[in-house]
Amino acid sequence: MSKTDAVEKSGRDVPVIELRHVDKHYGNLHVLRDVSLKVKKGEVVVVIGPSGSGKSTMCRTINRLETIDSGDILIEGEPLPQEGRELARMRAELGMVFQQFNLFAHLSVLDNVTLGPCEVLGLPKDEAEARAMELLERVGVGEQAHKVPAQLSGGQQQRAAIARSLAMRPKAMMFDEPTSALDPEMINEVLDVMVELARGGMTMVVVTHEMGFARRVASRVIFMAEGQIVEEGSPDEFFNHPKTQRARDFLDSIRGH
Amino acid sequence: MSSPTPALSMRDALYEAPGPRTRRRVRIGTAITAVVALLGIAAIVRQFYVTGQLAPRYWSLFLQWTTWRFLGQGLLGTVSVALTAGAISLVLGLLLMLGRTSGVRPLAALCRVVTDFFRGVPSLLLIYFFFFVPAQLGLKMPPFWMLTLPVALAAAGVLTEVFRAGVNAVPKGQVEAALSIGLSPAQTMRKIVLPQAVRYVIPSLIAQLVVVVKDTTVAYVVSFPDLMQNARVLITSYDALVSMYLVIALVYILINFAINKAAVYVSRRTGAKIIR
Repeated sequence: MSKTDAVEKSGRDVPVIELRHVDKHYGNLHVLRDVSLKVKKGEVVVVIGPSGSGKSTMCRTINRLETIDSGDILIEGEPLPQEGRELARMRAELGMVFQQFNLFAHLSVLDNVTLGPCEVLGLPKDEAEARAMELLERVGVGEQAHKVPAQLSGGQQQRAAIARSLAMRPKAMMFDEPTSALDPEMINEVLDVMVELARGGMTMVVVTHEMGFARRVASRVIFMAEGQIVEEGSPDEFFNHPKTQRARDFLDSIRGH
Repeated sequence: MSSPTPALSMRDALYEAPGPRTRRRVRIGTAITAVVALLGIAAIVRQFYVTGQLAPRYWSLFLQWTTWRFLGQGLLGTVSVALTAGAISLVLGLLLMLGRTSGVRPLAALCRVVTDFFRGVPSLLLIYFFFFVPAQLGLKMPPFWMLTLPVALAAAGVLTEVFRAGVNAVPKGQVEAALSIGLSPAQTMRKIVLPQAVRYVIPSLIAQLVVVVKDTTVAYVVSFPDLMQNARVLITSYDALVSMYLVIALVYILINFAINKAAVYVSRRTGAKIIR
């Protein structure tokens, strides 16, 4: 599919990411139950819910780090390929940020960011490095470019990981609990980068426990429990006028203090 | 997982820092051990003296240049077999591991059988195999290869498992991150998993190289002139069994000491940075 096709399609409001009746089991455990979701271009969809509700799993099915049992996943209207070169190409177009950062431990921060552009997009080394430095500066870790990940703080690692994803110029980005492994004082530096991305029009799916972020940035909040999407609405609707008892209980439990 | 907490050294992780009483006990223990060791060495030397093993006729051969030249030739043989076998086993071990971990079922099963076979069979038996079987089939194989191949195969069996352990030790998140930026599974293995796996297992690789060096000492079976074989030749001509074995034992210890030193140096340079 050429770039112009993609633009036309998104112009006609084809969702960037669409899940249709997705089901998944882990043995007897039904982790995703008939999950359907559309994410339009430029939308920031924040997924919240208690642990074990399937929100991370759903996030990871979008680039097939988790397979699904039934249903369909469409990226810009095209079914997500199941394997091979087509799948790799689709993954390259979708950014993914992990809870544990997962920077490549044996490579410098700069090489972490240039690896994808060089190996997958075939960019020349110097061009990839120039762009990588620009991105690292943008997320505030330019100074750390020549260190290995273990020498960075958690917050710096996560910002570098975001730069690594951005270097692939993704159509959309998934964030799988990006701040859950961080010390409290580092959470904001990562959220700030994400807010800036959202303001810049990036299409995002964010699984998080950061309610402040959800209120401020989400175009839509998805509430999941027991593998189902229980409720869906604007941040104001969800946080101030939750429709379901399940959502009210959840919000009460996190507002305990 | 990949949290940035600095890893404790093994020593720190297993033992708490000693207090005053423990320190005193350690000092006493050290003193006793030293005394026992010295007494032991004295007893051995005395026994050698009593049995006449220290007599000049057992040691004078080491004053001759030709003795050292002959042993040196043997050492060269040992080193060339060990290095060749080591190189072959590294490549073969890596290939067998890739085959074993590949998704292709029959290939994985085959590699598994091959690995378990070479790992399970004593290397001496493999050497007998290469000594007798090719000859039976009318193939002429030089003694160098009759020794090198079985030693390499035995080591490859072990290295397959070592590499596999290394690959399994690479956190799953590394693979997921690589796949999610669009690398193929093969690229992920080559660029992300293997470089880290090899760093994890460098100590085990070096340990295996020591085993390879020791395995070469059965060269006499195929009459390949390695250090051990040449020493045996000298023993029969000079009738200097104990002194000769003592000297070449020392040489083997020095070789393996050098290998271990190299290992520490290499892993400091490559491994420390990522594991710290």
